[in-house]
Amino acid sequence: MGIFLAFGLIPKSHRLMNALAAGNGMLHLVMSCVALSMLDLPERLGETLYLDHLNLYVELITSLGFTAAAFYARGYTDSLMEAGELDPRNLKTFYLAFNLLLVTATVALFSDNLALFWIFAELTTVCAAMLVAILSARENIDAALKYVFIVSGAMLFAFLGLIFLFTLSEQALGKGTLNWTELAVHASEFSPALLLASFTFMFIGFGAKAGVAPFHTWLPDAYARAPSVSAILSGLMQNLGIYGIIRMYSLLRESNVAPQASSILLAAGVFSIALASFSMFQQRNLKRLIAFSSVEHMGLLLIGIGIGTPLALFWALFYMLVHVLVKETLLFSAGILHRQYRSNMRENMWDVFKLQPRAAWGLILGSIAIVGMPPFPLFPAKFFILLESAAVSPYLTLALLLMLILAAASFANFLLKAFSKVTVEEEKDRHTIRTHVEAGRAELKTAAEKADHDEIRLPNKYVVRSGMRVPAIFMLALAFALGVYFPDSLRDLLDAIILELGYV
Amino acid sequence: MNTSFLLFALLNPLFALLAAPLYMALIRKIKAYAQGRKGPRLFQVYYDLKKLMKKETVYSPTSSWVMRFTPYLNLSTLLVCSLFVPLVFVPEPAGGLGNIIVFLYLLALERFFTALGGLDAGSAFGGMGSSRSMSLAAVIEPTMVISFAALAFVLKSLNLHEMFALTAGKILPISPTLVLVSISLFIILIVETGRLPVDNPATHLELTMINEAMILEQAGKNLALLELAHALKQLLLMGILINTILPVGLSTEIDAGKIAVSALLFLMKAGLLAVIIGLFESSLAKMRLFRLPAFYVMAFFFSAITILIEVFA
Amino acid sequence: MIDPTFLEGIIKILFVFVLISAGLIISTRNLSSVLTAYTIQSFLLAAVSSLLYMIDGKNQLLLLAVLTLASKVILIPYFISRIEQKIKIGRDLHFAYLEPTPSLLLSIGLIILSYTFLSGVFKGLPLSKLFFFGAVIGLSLTLMGMLVVFSRKRVITKALGYLSMENGVLMFGLFVTELPFIIEVLIIIDLIILVILTTIMAVGMDSSIEEYRQKFRKLQIWTGGESQ
Repeated sequence: MGIFLAFGLIPKSHRLMNALAAGNGMLHLVMSCVALSMLDLPERLGETLYLDHLNLYVELITSLGFTAAAFYARGYTDSLMEAGELDPRNLKTFYLAFNLLLVTATVALFSDNLALFWIFAELTTVCAAMLVAILSARENIDAALKYVFIVSGAMLFAFLGLIFLFTLSEQALGKGTLNWTELAVHASEFSPALLLASFTFMFIGFGAKAGVAPFHTWLPDAYARAPSVSAILSGLMQNLGIYGIIRMYSLLRESNVAPQASSILLAAGVFSIALASFSMFQQRNLKRLIAFSSVEHMGLLLIGIGIGTPLALFWALFYMLVHVLVKETLLFSAGILHRQYRSNMRENMWDVFKLQPRAAWGLILGSIAIVGMPPFPLFPAKFFILLESAAVSPYLTLALLLMLILAAASFANFLLKAFSKVTVEEEKDRHTIRTHVEAGRAELKTAAEKADHDEIRLPNKYVVRSGMRVPAIFMLALAFALGVYFPDSLRDLLDAIILELGYV
Repeated sequence: MNTSFLLFALLNPLFALLAAPLYMALIRKIKAYAQGRKGPRLFQVYYDLKKLMKKETVYSPTSSWVMRFTPYLNLSTLLVCSLFVPLVFVPEPAGGLGNIIVFLYLLALERFFTALGGLDAGSAFGGMGSSRSMSLAAVIEPTMVISFAALAFVLKSLNLHEMFALTAGKILPISPTLVLVSISLFIILIVETGRLPVDNPATHLELTMINEAMILEQAGKNLALLELAHALKQLLLMGILINTILPVGLSTEIDAGKIAVSALLFLMKAGLLAVIIGLFESSLAKMRLFRLPAFYVMAFFFSAITILIEVFA
Repeated sequence: MIDPTFLEGIIKILFVFVLISAGLIISTRNLSSVLTAYTIQSFLLAAVSSLLYMIDGKNQLLLLAVLTLASKVILIPYFISRIEQKIKIGRDLHFAYLEPTPSLLLSIGLIILSYTFLSGVFKGLPLSKLFFFGAVIGLSLTLMGMLVVFSRKRVITKALGYLSMENGVLMFGLFVTELPFIIEVLIIIDLIILVILTTIMAVGMDSSIEEYRQKFRKLQIWTGGESQ
C-alpha cells in the first residue's frame, strides 16, 4: 500500500495517477476477499492489528466504494480541470489525499488498539477535508473547515471516552488497556456508570463522524460543495463512525447499562430521521437532498444497532453495504448533472432526458432504491429493522414509517419538479421561441420580448466520459442483484460477525 | 456591648475620618508623578474640605429634601460602616455590627441616595450620572456578593470582626484562595470608588462622568460631606483588602502600644495600596461605557470560579 | 521536599487562572489576545504538570510538561501568529454569534454541569479532591472550547477553541489516570492537523478565487513540484 502512495507522487499524467488510485482500491478489495475466504478469523497481526469478520466486512465495503469512485474520478476531475474549477497542480495532492484516505481508513479498521483507531480516524477526517477543499472556491474551504472542526471536536470527546475506558480497565484489571479484544472480554466487570459515560462520549465522537444528528451539520455543506468524488469518500468515512459505534455497543451489551445505551442510540436515530425528513422536503439543491438522505439512513442504522437483537444487527450490517452502493449511484449521477448544468439547484435542470438520459435514469432508479422500494435491497433491510423496532415500541415503528414516507415524498417531489422541465420549441412569427415548460405550468414569452432578451439556448450536451458512466451502472446493478438474490456467503459472513460480537 | 467594642467604636471611625482624605490626595499625587507633574500637597484634600465648609450652599429651586438630606445620610452611613471594618484593632464582635451582609446593604443605601440626589436637582447631567451609575452597579452587585461570600467561606464567618480576628497578625494570607479573593476585592475597589478604567475621577467633561455627575449640583458644606463620605468609602474598602491580603500587625488586644503600632502599620500599608492604585490607574485608559458590563462579567466569572474552587475542592 | 499541601494550594490557584484564560478565549474580541490567552493556558498546563511531577514523581508528567511547553507554548503560537500576520493585519474585531456576557455565564453553568456529571460518574473511582477537581476543570475546559468553536465566526478563533478543547482533554487525562505515550502521539497529530489548517487558512479565508490562486502561487504552497 505504501508503494502505491509513493508511486502516486511520481507520475504527472492524470491517467497514471488515476490508474494507481484505482489499483490501490482494487488491491484492498482483493485483499479483503482473500482474507475473508482463506484466513481463520479472528486473527491477530502483530501487537495492534487485528482482523475479524466485522472489520474485514467494512473494509470490503470501503474498498468497493473507493474503487468505483476512483474510476469515476478520472472523468470527473478531467472535466473539472477543463472548466477551470480545479487547478491541475492540485491534482497530485488530490490523488495523494485519495490514496491516503483509503490507507488510513484501512489501518483504522484493522487496529485493535482504540487509541490507534482514534488517531487514524482523525487522519481520515483530515484527508477527507483536503479532498473537499481541493476545489479552489471559497465555499469549499468553509465546508472543509466546518467538517474538520465539528468532527475533530467531537472526536476529542471520544478521546475523553477513551480515557474513561482506560481508567475502567485499569481499575478492573490492574493494568490499563485500550484493546477492543481485551475490553470485550472483561466488559462485564466494569463499573456501569463509568461505562455509560464512556459510551456517551464515544458516541458523540463517532456519531459526528457518522453524520448523526445533532452532529450532522457538516454533512450538507460537505456533500453540496465538494466535487462528487469527495462526497462519496466522506460517505465512506461515515461507515467508519458506524463501525466504532457497533463495537462500542457490543462492548456494552453485557453490562447492565445496555438499556440506557440503547435508548441513547434509539433517540439519536429517531432524531436524525426526523430532522432529515423534514429538511429534505424543502430542499431544492440535489446534493443537499442526498446529504440529508444520508443523515436519515445513518439514523436508521443507529436504530437498527440500538434495538440490540441479532436480527436487527444482521440487517443493519447488510444496510451498510447496500447503502453505499445506492448512495454512490446517486452521487455519480448527481455529479454528471452538476457537470452538465454547473449547478445542483432544481431550477437549473432543464431537459434532463434530452441531455443526460442515463444520468437521469440513474438518479430516478437510485432514488427508488434509496427510499426502500422493492426489488432493491434496501427494502428488506428497512422492513426487518422496522419489524424489530415494533418489539421496542409500536409507536416507534409508526413514527419511523411516517418519516420514511416523508423522505420518499421529498425525493419524488424533487425529481418531479426537476425532471419535468422541458424546453418546448414553438414557431411563432418566424422566431423559434424556446420556452421552459414545467409539469402543468407553461411560461410563454412573446416574440417581442424574446427579440430583446437572449434566447434560451439548449446548452451543449455534456459529454460523459465512459469512466463516469460505468461505475454508476455497476453499482446500481450490484444493488439490484443483491436485492433479488441474497448470496449465502454474505449471509454466512454476517452471521459470523454477529456471533463474534457476542450477540447470541 | 463590651468595653472592647466601645473603645473600638470611638477609635475606629475617628481614625478613618482623619485618615481618609490623606489617601485621596496620595493617589492623586502618584498619578501626577506618573504624568511628570508634582501634584497636590499630601494634605490638600483637608484644605479643600475646610474651604468647602466655609462656602455658601446653594440649592436648585426644583430640588427637594433629598438633596439636602443625602450628604448627611451618606456620611452617617459610612461612619456606621466604619464600625464594621477593623482598621487599628479587632474588637470582640458585638451583635450584628460587623455583619458583612449589613455592610453590603449600607453601601447600597449610600449609593442609592447618591443617585437620588443626582436626580433631584433636575439637571440633565445629574440624571445621566444616576442612570449610568445604577445600571453599572446592578452588574457589579453579583460580583460583590460572591467575592464577599468567598471571603466569608474561607474565613468561616459572616462577621467581619470574626473574620479578621482569624487572620490578624499573620504575615501571609492563610489560604491561597484569599489571593484570588483579593484580586476580586481590588476590582470591586476600583469600581466602587469610580477609578480608572471604570470612571475618571479627575474628569471635568460632564458627558464622561459617572460618579461625579451625581454630585455636580452639590455645593459648599454638602459637597464637603459628600467628598468626605467618598474618601471614607475608599478607605474602608482598602481596609478590607489590606486585612485580607496583608494582615500583619493588626492587633487583637487592647494595648496602647500594640494599637499604635497597628495604626502606624495600617497607614503604611494603605499608603502602599494607594501607590499601587495610583500606578494602576495611570497605566490604563478609561473603558468605553458599553464595554464596562463585559468587564464586570469577567470579574463575576473570576469570583464565581474562585468560590466554586473553594467550595468544591 | 516542598510541602504537598502548599503545592496543592498553588495548583488550585493555577486552576482558577486556567479557567480565566478559557473565559478570555471565549469573551475577548481581539485576535492576538485570543492567542495570548491560549499561550498562557498551555503554559499553565505545563506548570500544573510539573507541579504534579513534584508531588507524585512520575517521569511521564515531566515529559508531558516539557512537550507541552515546546509544542503549545512555543511552536503552535508561533505558527498562528504567522498566520495572523498573513491574513490581513489590523483585523482586530471579531464577530461572534453569542455575545461575551451570556457566553461567560453559560461557561459557569458548564462548569457546574461538569461537576455534577463527574460526581455522579466517579462514584466508583476513588480520587482525591484535588484530582477530582482537576478532572472537572478538564471537562469544563473542553466544553468551553466547544462553545468557542460553535459560537465564533472566524476560523482562527475556532482553531484556537479547538486547541483549547484539546488542552482540556489533556488536563482531564492528567488527573484521572496515568496516560501512556498516547498523549504525545495526540500532540503530534494535532501538529499535523494544524499544519494542514495553516496552509488552507493562510492562503486566505476571505479572498476571492483569483486572489486565492495568486496567493497560492506567491506563497508557493501546494505547487505540485513546480516551485523551482
